[in-house]
Parts: sequence; C-alpha cells; structure tokens
Amino acid sequence: MTAVISCHGATRRYPRNGTDAVVAVRNVDLEVQPGEFVAIQGPSGSGKTTLLGLLAGLESADEGTVSVLGHDLARLSLTERARLRRSGMGIVFQSFGLVASLTAGENVALPLALAGMDRDERRKRASAALAEVGLGGGEDRRTDELSGGERQRVGVARAIAGDPTLVLADEPTGSLDDENAAVILDLLTATVRKRGASLVLVTHDPESAARADRSIRMRDGAFLNGDA
Amino acid sequence: MFLLRHALQLVLREPRRSVAAALGVGIAGALITSVLLFGVASGATVTRRALADLPVDAQVVLTPGADRAAAETIVRADPAVRDVLPFTLVHFNGATLQKSGSATQTSSGVLVGVDAGYSDKTGLFKVAQGAATTGQITVSRDLATNLGAVPGDTVRFALPGGGTADLVVSGITDITGADLILGPVDAAHRAAGTNSAVDVAVMDRASLAAIATSIPAGATAADPGAQGGGSSPVFAPELAVRQELQLRYDHALLPGDPASAQTWLTDVRHRIEGQGAGAFLVADDASASLAPIASDLVWGQILFIFLAFPGVALALALSRLAADATADATRRHAALLRARGATPRQLQRVFIGATALTALAGALVGSLIGVVLASVRFGSELAASDPVGAIVRAVIIAVVAATVLATAAAAFPLREQLRQEVAAGRQELQRARAPLWQRLYLDVLAIVAAIVVYYVVGSGIHPVIGVEGNPTVTIALTSFVAPLLLWTGGTLLLLRLSQRVMSRSGRLAGWLERILGPGGELAGRSLTARAGAASRAIVVLALSVSFATSVLIFDATYRQQQRVDAQLTLGADLKIVPTQPTDAPAVAGLAGPGISTVTPFVDRIVYVGSEAQDLLGIDPSTLPQVSTLADTFFKGISGADAMAALRSQPDGILVSDETAKDYSIVPGDRVRIRVPDVNGNLVQVDFRMAGIALEFPTAPKDAFLVANQSFVAAQTGNNRISFALARASGDPTDVAGSLGARLGSGWQVTDLGATNARLANTITSVDLADLVLLDLIFAVLIAAVGAALFLLAGLVERRRELATIEAIGAEPRQLRALVIGEATVIGLSGLMIGVLSGAVVGYTLLQIMAGLFDPPADFPTVPIPALLGAALAVVVGLAAAVFVADRALSRLRVLALLRER
Repeated sequence: MTAVISCHGATRRYPRNGTDAVVAVRNVDLEVQPGEFVAIQGPSGSGKTTLLGLLAGLESADEGTVSVLGHDLARLSLTERARLRRSGMGIVFQSFGLVASLTAGENVALPLALAGMDRDERRKRASAALAEVGLGGGEDRRTDELSGGERQRVGVARAIAGDPTLVLADEPTGSLDDENAAVILDLLTATVRKRGASLVLVTHDPESAARADRSIRMRDGAFLNGDA
Repeated sequence: MFLLRHALQLVLREPRRSVAAALGVGIAGALITSVLLFGVASGATVTRRALADLPVDAQVVLTPGADRAAAETIVRADPAVRDVLPFTLVHFNGATLQKSGSATQTSSGVLVGVDAGYSDKTGLFKVAQGAATTGQITVSRDLATNLGAVPGDTVRFALPGGGTADLVVSGITDITGADLILGPVDAAHRAAGTNSAVDVAVMDRASLAAIATSIPAGATAADPGAQGGGSSPVFAPELAVRQELQLRYDHALLPGDPASAQTWLTDVRHRIEGQGAGAFLVADDASASLAPIASDLVWGQILFIFLAFPGVALALALSRLAADATADATRRHAALLRARGATPRQLQRVFIGATALTALAGALVGSLIGVVLASVRFGSELAASDPVGAIVRAVIIAVVAATVLATAAAAFPLREQLRQEVAAGRQELQRARAPLWQRLYLDVLAIVAAIVVYYVVGSGIHPVIGVEGNPTVTIALTSFVAPLLLWTGGTLLLLRLSQRVMSRSGRLAGWLERILGPGGELAGRSLTARAGAASRAIVVLALSVSFATSVLIFDATYRQQQRVDAQLTLGADLKIVPTQPTDAPAVAGLAGPGISTVTPFVDRIVYVGSEAQDLLGIDPSTLPQVSTLADTFFKGISGADAMAALRSQPDGILVSDETAKDYSIVPGDRVRIRVPDVNGNLVQVDFRMAGIALEFPTAPKDAFLVANQSFVAAQTGNNRISFALARASGDPTDVAGSLGARLGSGWQVTDLGATNARLANTITSVDLADLVLLDLIFAVLIAAVGAALFLLAGLVERRRELATIEAIGAEPRQLRALVIGEATVIGLSGLMIGVLSGAVVGYTLLQIMAGLFDPPADFPTVPIPALLGAALAVVVGLAAAVFVADRALSRLRVLALLRER
C-alpha cells in the first residue's frame, strides 16, 4: 500500500538576524498510511504547525524530501501544489479560516469553486457537507451570525466537501470550549473515517491525541525518540 | 518629550505605515509647489509679453533749454538702457485744409517728429497709404477724415505763439499703440487717464525742429475747450514743444514678477533722473503698462490655483486611504503602547504627532519634487523672476499647507482606528452609522446651493476683456463659489451613491465570476463587503479622472478660443504680405504644398464723403474657404448670404452699421466712394449696398467696407493687393516655415501661432500647457496611488482570509484575478463617473470664465485624443497598482498568518 505521506529527513529553517537561522523542523521522518489517523503533539513552538505547512505544500523543506499523495512536493510548482491541496486534501484551521464576505454555503463550496466545479454541483455538495456536520439548511447564513462551534463545523464541512484523501487539522479545537471541542473532534474523526481518508491532527491536547491511531510528540522541531 | 519620542519611534518602526501616509501628502506638496511656481512663471510670461509690444519703455522729457546731447550721453551710460530714440512733439492749435474754394478746420492736435528707422524699431507710425517724404507729413486717419485730406493736399497748422506751418500730405499713418507717447507725460494726468491726441501728423524730426523754432520759448498748447472745440472736455496744459529721448531697456534684466518689475523700473527711473540733475524728467511707460497687469495676474493665479485645487484635495484624500491601508500597523502599535500603560489621550497624541511628522517629511520631499518638476517644465520663465525667493516661498507655503491639512485629514480615521483597537476589532473599519454629512444631506444641500449661487450671483459676474485691445480682467471671487460648491457637493453625493450601489450589488460577483473565474467572484463579494472603502477608492479615482477631464476640456476650449480670436485678427491660418507692389494674379502662384486655398486681399483707405475708412477688397468665391465667416459677423444675413450677394453683384458693398446709420442707407442704395488708383489719386467709384458687416477678418473695430476686389481693380485700374490669405492643410506654423522658404524674400508669411502669441497680454496670454501637463501627471498619479492604497488596504484587512484561501487551494492566478477584479470594478466605475462629472465641471468652469474669451465659446471643445490618452494613463497607473498589489500578495506569509490568534 502506498503511503499518503512520506517524509524523510525533512528540515525547515527560518532566517534570523542575517546569517543565523532558527530550525523549526529538524530531520523529520514520517509515513502516514491511507485511512490512518495520526496526531502530532507538542508544546507551542515545537514545530507542529510548520510541519503541517510542509505537508500541505505551503512551505518548502530546506533539506530532505516530502511526498504527499504520491507527489514529491519539491518538484511541484506553486500552482500544482495549490491544485493538489484542492483535489486531494482538506485543511481545518484553529481560527476557522472562513471568508467573512461569503455565506456558510459559499465558504464550504469555495475549494470546489476554485477547482472549477459547476455551480449547481458544488452547491449540492456544500449542502450535503453542511448537513453532515449538523448545519443542514444553514447554507445562506452569514458567518458572523454563527457561533464559534458552528463556524468550526463549517470549517470541517469545507475540508470534507471535496472528498479528500488526506485531511490536515491544525489545532481545530483550540478556539472552542470543551463541549464544542469534543463535538468537533467527533465530527472530524467520523467524517474523515467515513471517507476512508487519512487525518493528521496537530494538537497540544493529550486527550485529542489519544483518539488517534498513532501519536507523535515533537519538541524543538524534532520527533521525540521512539515516535514516528 | 515622551510623546515626541514615541511619535518618532512610531514613524521609524512602522516604515510601511509612514511611507503610505507620506505619499498623499507628498503628492499634495508637489502639486501645490509646482502650481505656485507656475503662477510665478506665468507672471514672468505676462510681464515679458506685456512689455514686448510696448514701443518704448520710458520717455525722457527734456526741460526747455536742456542740452540734448549731454542728456543723451547720460541716459546711454545707464546699464538698463539698450536704445535711445530722439523724438519731438509739437502741439498745434488747429489745422485747416483749403479745397475747392472751401476750408475745413479741426481743433488742436500734435505734430510728431521722428528719425528714419523709428517706425521699424518701435512699430509706431507705420505708413498705411502713400509714403513718408522729407519735409512732408503723413496724417492719422482721424486728421484725414476731419479735414477730408488726401495725399497731395496742403494743410495749414496754427502753431502756439501765432505762427503757421503749411505742410503737404504725403500719406496716411497708423497711430495705433501710440496713446502713451501722444498723451501727457506727467504722472498725475496719466493716472487720471487723459485722452491722447487723435489728430496727428508725423514728419521727419529735422523738418519739425525747424518749424518749432518759430514757436516762442515757454509757449503752451492751447486749450481746445477755450477755442470752442467742445469735443475735448478735459485739457492737460503742456509746453507747446516737447523734446524727448525715448528709451528702450534691456528686458533681459527685468524681474519676471510684474510687481518686482515695476520696482526695478522705478529704480531705473530714479537713477536716470538723478544723473540728469534737473535737465530732464522720466515718464515710465513700461511701469504704467504693468500696473493693471499686476492686479490681473492675481486673478489669473486664482484661476490657476482653482484648476489645481481638486488635485490638492484629492492628494490629501489619499491620507485617508493610507490610514485604511495601514490600519493594522496602527492597531498593532496602539496595542503595544496600551500594554505599556498609555492612556487613550496619550495614544491619540502619539499617533497624531507621528502623522504630523510623516506629513511634514512627505510634504518636504513632495515640495522638492515639485520644484524639480517646475524647473524642468518652466525653468527659463522662473529664472527671470527671483527664482530662489519664489522657490523658498512656494516650498514654505506648500509644506505648511500640506502638513496641516493632511494631519487634519488623517486625524479622524485615526481616532476611529484607535477606538477599534480598544474594541479589539479586526474586521474592516466600518462606521456604526452614517457619517454626519450623510445624515445632514450636506451633499445635496451643496449642489442646490451651487445652482442657486450660479443663477443668482455667478451669472452676472464674469471676467471682462477691456476695449481697444487692452485686456483687463475684472473678476469677482464669488465667481468661484458655484463650481466649488458643485465640486464638493458632487464629490459627497458620488460617495453616497457609490457606497449604496456597491453594498447592494448582488450581481457583481456573478458578473466578475463569468469573466475572471472564482477569483472574480471573490472580488465581487469582497467589494460588496467592503463597500465603504471601495466607494472611497472609486470616488478618489473618479475625481482624479474628473479633474483631468475638466482641465483638458477647459484647456482645449481655451486654445480653441485663442485660435478663433487670432483668426479674426490675422484673417486666416496664414497671411502672406508682398514686400514689393504685387498684382492679384500673382496670388495664384502662392498655391502649393501645405496650402489648400489662397485668396487675394486688399486693404485700402478710401473716403466716404470726407470720412476715411478701410475698404477691404476680397474674392467672395475663395475667401469663405480660407477664413471663418460667422453669421454673427453680419447683420440680418448669414455669412454665406453676404458672400453670395457680393458674388452675384460685382458692385456690391458691405458697409458698417455705423456708416449705414450715418448716411441712412439700406441695401440696394448707391454708395459713392473715392478710392485711390495705382498712383494714389482718388477715383470716384459707385457701389451698391449689399448688406451690413459688423465684424470681418482683418477689419479694424471701427468703420470699414467690404467689396469685390476685382470690381475695385477694374474701376480704379489698380489691381495691386495688400496681402493674400491662405488656409493651411497642416499645422499653420509648419506650413508658414516651408512656405516662407519656398517664396523667398518677395513675401512675408505670418502664421496663426505667431498671432496667437501676440494677441492677449494678460492672463489669456499664459500658455496653460505646462499647468495642464502638471495637473494631468498628478491626476494619474493620484488615481494610481489611490487604487494601489485601496488594493493594499484590502490585502492588509483580509490577509488572513487570503492566506486561508491560498491554503485551501487557490492558485496564484486565481488570487491575482481577485485583485484584478477589484481593480477593474474600481477602475471602470471611476473612469465612467470621472469623465461625466469632469465634463460637467469643465463646462461650468467655462461658463464662469466666459468673459476671458472674445468671442466667448458657444460649446466646450472636447479633446477626444487627449482624453483617451489620459484614460490610458489612468489604466496604466491602475495596472501598476495591480502589479504592486500582486507582488504584495505573492509575498503573503501564509503559514505565519494562519498561526495568528
């Protein structure tokens, strides 16, 4: 079976004060299999989000290789990476990442629209995804009318609307209260598993990480011994 | 000190915010400086133009018994003096012509004595008919008319002291432009505007000197009132003989500003008078000519500032857009200061202090750019007018005005942002309720007030060109109130309407999606969501375009009217004057490359009864193809009908309204006129009145006649022409150059451009091209910077949204489509609204300034190529703004933004 994510010796540095550099991700090896749920745990500044950025193709590794869905990201152009994110991935953000000028339905349909999908088809898919996260009939609601929990439901619906193979979630419950956090985590895992997709969850919460098939701890940009 | 330190820190630590805030102020500073310097340069142009046509700059009047040679040595030694022309003026008490057994008399006048070459140097006393002959006189038209004198007649002049002089008339002379020379020379009478003599005889100075010896020393000119000459209600007592040295100064030494030039002229006068030690007094003709111009120029400069005012206001409006574009930096720094314990009051002071500092820096840099621009565009004119002083004054005014206004303009949004910071608001800065001016409907009120003011006050007040070729402008400040109110009200109304349209434009997203794809749809949604900011950007762009449009329309009409005025004076595109006596058939030889039609023209002094008038002999078949003959030139008939009447009736003649009234004649009546033959002998010719001409190309303002040249030639045996008129098929100046080269020395070619430049000597003589170019540059710059600030503000406000959109799969081209979609909507709306409102403002401005033109413009001239060029420049500016925004988008740090809490 081909790994959904295959990462070898991935390193990411950020320049600081001219020649000096901060190593945000250090020599990371990671394999994620289809349908696998992997949690990446660690304190703030440990490099979790940077690693997620490398996996999403939003950042480029300075050293090592990062292959996602069979593509070596270093070989892809910005446009090709964007298309890969659109077609094969879904991303959930901590601060929801909704576009304020769009309705809930339009937010969910946005990746589909960017992919050039027919208006009716994407509307249908958006409605279905919203219904799946418990917001059926809320397509026309403005995002500023939604509660925090509802906004993240819309975020989850957007991530799964395109039936992705891989879902990346960056602290998806970080802005929610415990009750809503549990609901959202349930929704996320359920909808991802239903599709047979892989899920990489970045979190600092051990309870959330405990739900994963595999949990990896990070510190100072590197996986702790024995993890991965 | 605390506040200043923090304000300085804010300026230095937020360079993006500082540069954006300084940009608009810089443009305003540059515009104010360059317009002020244009005003100074235009002052130099006006001064130079006014003095260029002045025959002499000063008259040195010798006291009786003074040594002329010694005086001449003194004045020649002065560094300001370029030329000294001896001149004698002798008053006569009356003139009599004995003819056919009866005597005709006139009252007082003057005999003028000049040396050979005087006419060529000064342009005065040109012989219109006959020739100047030693010992004989050429007489003014008035004297010829009053006496019924023709060349060959002998006129007896009664001289002060009882003597007489019998002098033979050898020709008719033109005394146009000699008012100052023929009038009284003392300052009191000049200030009182005493009329100069019109009964004038000109002769060689040596012969007049001999006549003057017969006049007793100390004799004075006779009062015509005392002689029963009721036509002259005032009289300036003067010595009967006036010996003068007329001076022409080196104009290169003159300061450009009319007021400074007057001071310089006064200094020169005092210096020369001081050297004379009582041997002579100096009458300052140049200073007298500059006096009305100095006040005209003030109004002219108001006009120039008015033409640039919208640009300055728009440039300052950029401060508001800059505040929007840098709102994040403001909030970030405010949060930092609040965390360190700054009170809201201290926060406001720090931020307003920082705004003032950046405004000061921007205004300084902008002002210096304005100086460079002005030096490049009109440096030579500036150099003539104390450039250092002018530049220092302009820079100080511009820096102070731009700094104060920009600080005030930015202070309001700043307060809003600081309030938002306190509320930790992250979304776009939107007002909770409509601003005060919207709630009070100040926009509508201003427009209504503009209409009321225009009809109640504005319609009666226009600049006025004075009579007799001495243009003066009387213009009331209230003339500018209506367009100012219209511009202000229109701006606010535009803001209200575009905000309303943008916030309700549901179709916009769909429309943009069809053209630009998903990025376009996002652009449409975004514009609707940011209706407030979008409408401000549209208004800035629209007003920039409106500003450019109104300036271009005003300039095009201004030029067109200058051309119409010049055409009426010159007669056509080209006037070709033979240097030797030439008959009409030779005119056909003038045709050639660049000439579409050419027609012969005769201007001869003839006599209707005893009255001397100009007879214009024309070819009515070809003249209409060469000259503009407006219907308003004729009374009761059209221009075409008047020419048709002359064509069908060889002996037809068009007479002036005054002549028709004086002689009670109507069309069809016989008019007997004495016309000179080839030898100058008067031949009686019978014409038949064909109509009344009020104005005619090349004709003087007073009485004139128009007849068939071929008929006049046949009746008098005199087929000589005065000149030929031609229509150029290309640029008249270029054609004049090539034609002059082709014809050689046998003909002298004058073109419309040269006439245009000589025509007016007040603010209409100022070439607006430089001002228009400056205004256009700034309009395009403001439009581009305004659009760029809007687009950048959009990126700043929505940077996390944009990062999210990129993260979920938007391609670079789709993000670019978002920026292009926003720019397209802003650009198209701005261009369309701007062109329309610019046309309205331009038309209003023309109506207000109607009196500047003679004749006034019926319709504004729309310069389509220039407008298209300006629109293209705005589009290029927008493209540059899109490029800047796209670059900023490509540098978006997606991951860092997604991490932001």
